[in-house]
Amino acid sequence: MDFGILSVIIFLPMFVALLMLILPIGAKGTRNIAFLTSIIIFILVSLVYYNFELSGYMQFREHHTWITTYGIYYSLGIDGFSLIILMLIATLIPSAYLWLWDGRTKGYWISMMLIQTGITGTLFAQDLILFYFFWEAMLLPVFMIIGMFGTGNRVFSTIKITVYTIMGSLLMLISILYLGVAFFNNYGFWSFALNDIVQITNLTRTEEIWLFAGFMIAFAIKIPLFPFHTWLLETYSNSPTGGVFLLSSIMAKLGVYGIVRFVMPIFPELYKEFAPFFVWIGIFGLIYFGIAALMQINIKKMFAYSSASHLGFIVTGIFSLNVYGMTGAAFLIIAHAMATGGLFLLVGKMEYSLGIKAIPALGGIAKKAPIFTVFFAIMLLCIVGLPGTSGFVSEFLIILGAFGFSPSAGIVSAFTVLVAASFMFWMFQKAILSDSGNDVSQMKDLNFKEIVGMLPLAFLIIAMGIYPDWFFYKIEPTIQHYLIDILEIRNY
Amino acid sequence: MSNFLLAWIVLIPLLSSAALGLMYLFSIKIVKIPNIVFTLIGVSAPFASFWIATTFFLQMIGNSEIFLYKAYRWLGVDGYDIDMGFMADKLSIFMVLFITFVGGLIHLYASGYMKNDDGYGKFFFYFNLFIASMLLLVLADSPIIMFIGWEGVGVCSYFLISYYYEDEKNVQAGNKAFIANRVGDLGFIIAMITMFYYAGANGFDYINLEASMASVPPDVLTFIGLALFVGAIGKSAQIPLFVWLPDAMAGPTPVSALIHAATMVTAGVYMVARFHFLYDLIPDVGLIIAYVGAFSALFAAVIATKQTDIKKILAYSTMSQLGYMFIAVGLGGYSVGIFHVFTHAFFKALLFMGAGAVIVALHHEQNIFKMGGMKNKTPLVYFTMLIATLAIAGIPPFAGFFSKDEILLTAFGSGEYLIWIMGVVTAVLTAYYMFRLLFVVFHGSNYKEERKLHALNKSITMPLVILAMGSMFAGLIGVPELLGGHNLIGIWLSDWRNSSLHVAHDTEFILMAVNILAAIVGISIAYKKFFKYDMKIVPQYEGMIWNKFYIDEIYDRFIVQKIKKISIFISYKVDVNIIDMVVMGLSRSFIRGGHFISKLQNANTRFYAFTMLIGISVISTYLIMVMR
Repeated sequence: MDFGILSVIIFLPMFVALLMLILPIGAKGTRNIAFLTSIIIFILVSLVYYNFELSGYMQFREHHTWITTYGIYYSLGIDGFSLIILMLIATLIPSAYLWLWDGRTKGYWISMMLIQTGITGTLFAQDLILFYFFWEAMLLPVFMIIGMFGTGNRVFSTIKITVYTIMGSLLMLISILYLGVAFFNNYGFWSFALNDIVQITNLTRTEEIWLFAGFMIAFAIKIPLFPFHTWLLETYSNSPTGGVFLLSSIMAKLGVYGIVRFVMPIFPELYKEFAPFFVWIGIFGLIYFGIAALMQINIKKMFAYSSASHLGFIVTGIFSLNVYGMTGAAFLIIAHAMATGGLFLLVGKMEYSLGIKAIPALGGIAKKAPIFTVFFAIMLLCIVGLPGTSGFVSEFLIILGAFGFSPSAGIVSAFTVLVAASFMFWMFQKAILSDSGNDVSQMKDLNFKEIVGMLPLAFLIIAMGIYPDWFFYKIEPTIQHYLIDILEIRNY
Repeated sequence: MSNFLLAWIVLIPLLSSAALGLMYLFSIKIVKIPNIVFTLIGVSAPFASFWIATTFFLQMIGNSEIFLYKAYRWLGVDGYDIDMGFMADKLSIFMVLFITFVGGLIHLYASGYMKNDDGYGKFFFYFNLFIASMLLLVLADSPIIMFIGWEGVGVCSYFLISYYYEDEKNVQAGNKAFIANRVGDLGFIIAMITMFYYAGANGFDYINLEASMASVPPDVLTFIGLALFVGAIGKSAQIPLFVWLPDAMAGPTPVSALIHAATMVTAGVYMVARFHFLYDLIPDVGLIIAYVGAFSALFAAVIATKQTDIKKILAYSTMSQLGYMFIAVGLGGYSVGIFHVFTHAFFKALLFMGAGAVIVALHHEQNIFKMGGMKNKTPLVYFTMLIATLAIAGIPPFAGFFSKDEILLTAFGSGEYLIWIMGVVTAVLTAYYMFRLLFVVFHGSNYKEERKLHALNKSITMPLVILAMGSMFAGLIGVPELLGGHNLIGIWLSDWRNSSLHVAHDTEFILMAVNILAAIVGISIAYKKFFKYDMKIVPQYEGMIWNKFYIDEIYDRFIVQKIKKISIFISYKVDVNIIDMVVMGLSRSFIRGGHFISKLQNANTRFYAFTMLIGISVISTYLIMVMR
């Protein structure tokens, strides 16, 4: 049996976490080992990235039977779309660890490592049951982190997100099982492997629509798409920094990933048929959440809405059915993860030092912490979509894609240039720049570790804005493959 | 070929700003770096770009060569490439020349003006970045690269306007500038994307767009032209997006000089001239542009007559002069509009710098009625300001006369008499409010006798003298044939000339006389009311004009407050009371259901834990076996 680098990437953190659980090592030791693990994974992922061939098909496949009776496979693989998300995760996690460095318990670090296993597993799984398994495995430690280390009404937040998520997961599980049975009826043997499931031909249209809805609701909750977003506010507001960081910058994106990976190939016709609906719900979300963010006092709630607003835009991109919109969406996934992740880390530090989340109670930070402010400004400008940052390239491409889908969608989606700018700059003024006489003397500027952690994010934001082409070439064949082979759109 | 040097025109200030930014952080965090280092790097960058631009300029004399340089593929999607490309033709290189020259002088001036500021290095970081963005805007070879510079200018102006960020008002002014600009950018993006789909099939650079423009359906052309012009309105502060410009005075005075003279606000005019191949096809939209320009010119001039803050008067005068430029470019006289951009760069930079010198000398007093008698105290500033004021008022042979004359000639010659009348009235008002400023500040009696003046150093006065020479002679490049000149600018920008314009020589003479008369009338009224003004009377203004026709209030009440209401309605009513209620209600019913079910089973928790443990071990072992 050949050496499966993807399996190593998935299970190394879990293995280390379980080892830590048994061994009598303190919080600091666990943290150091967790950091080391994340660096090793980064190196492994870089190898994968480097060896990834320029094609649109699955690579680094690992395919083994798992539960033979029901055709459940341990099947892994990545294509260009997963590759960039993988690269993103591998870059973000060590950065985040540097920011979470002090004052966390052993349980926190163990949970973080387990989460990493869950998200990479979700990203690689090519079997529906395996995917579901990792999807759930990724969420449990998140609930633990929020419930145990959160602030405010954290138990309520945990229950709320759990209820939402379990709802979605349940629908997804039912859909998966239904598909499995359908496959059995179709071909006479069991299989949940994605490559087999896409061959199903015996579903009626009604059945397909129900199953499609089952998947879409599960993913829409995770993203979140309007109207499945109300868990977001409390969760983001009450989560500890690490939790909200992972939720906003990685897990929300996995919702989008799920749509592309499973919904698109399993239901290509419905995907095309309902594309207008999702393009418009994305644009609606963009504007709705953008306006809702405008009057938020709690900075984390503002970012929660802002995040939802951009994710709506990503959904517009992936449903635009052309190469511009879809590459733009992939690019925005990265851009937004960097910027929002960075912002939540920065805000987390502010909350940690000052104990304040209310925007009017802040102010005068720029004077106290100039380097903090520089990074804050870079992240903010990326969210706002300023040219020269990755935010612009992605927004421009999505607008282009939306216009290609329908000119009216393109024109309305261009309003994105106003949406984030309107509240982000107000927040920046109130919370960071202007001196409103509040006591912020406890605020410290970034230390060396934090600067090192933030630099890759800031660097990538700018590099991807100045030289986007370099970041495109690995993903473009995949998008072409989606459009030509899966969706069978020739003249996009 | 040395075309790659085109990129260096932009790169030098860009790299310099990067260096300045890092050095500034180093300076405040680790070891203090002396200001002279920042000055040397910051001030030399625009002049270095100027020098490179000159070499290109010299190569272009007498031929119609266009220099192109593609640095790298910026974005390639689906076989369609957009390059990071630079293009120097006669229009862009002409713009670059005076942007870098006047910009460089403003840098020099700033080195004196800001010398005691804590954020000296940061200031030059923004300044260089601003110049780099502006140069990218001008030298770009495609709309999208132009847009990068376009927004770069916007964000730099945001940071410069809110430079003294501790004070909330300044940051609000910066926000306002950014948002107003963004409204314009929305138009720009929409225009760009429509262009991409309708005219971009062969490439997205200007040369290809120009070639495919004729095949675009006329109504789409009109749409693109209007949307693009919205972008120009935002950047160049025309009606109705001008509201940010007066507030932008919150920044330090060199910032106002930079934003208002050679850069930023002129970008809109440049854009229309750059897209002349589009606007040539849609004269109706051009007419709208000309009318917007004419109304803005008149509107701003009217407001300027009642302002008391020296910088606000100059801000409105900028808006008014930009209106003139739009009259010209709207009526197809692109070269004429650019000519006015050019002369305006000199006298407006000079006016702001002179005003800044007065403000510094009087310890940051900005109300003209609290100045007075500055003629004898700062004679150099007085004489240079006088030259600039004569230039903006349109007195021959100073710079503004020739360009303004040609704009009004274009309006008259195109048969747009209403625009022409508005232009002439604006000329009267301009002469009036500018001389009002000059008389009150320099000739009026002393406001307070005992004030000790702040001394002005060389780096402040030297640029004033150079710009004064510019304000005197810059117009000479556009002396019309009628007066025995060669209209060099018209020849240089011959591709951008309105060729359909034919006015009889007699008429041309009469129009010229009218313009001079208009200036004299304005000056006379100002002389009568404000010469030797007694500064004991500080006039109190009120009413429509003083309150800028309540435009800010109208925007606030009918747009900003409405959106805020919607926002509160969405986030506190819809989300909480409707959507969340449904979800939580559902979940509560589940919990009740759960309680009921849980009564049916009464298992031992430890047993559950045990089974879970077994499950996990089995799965793990299984996986390990599978992986072997």
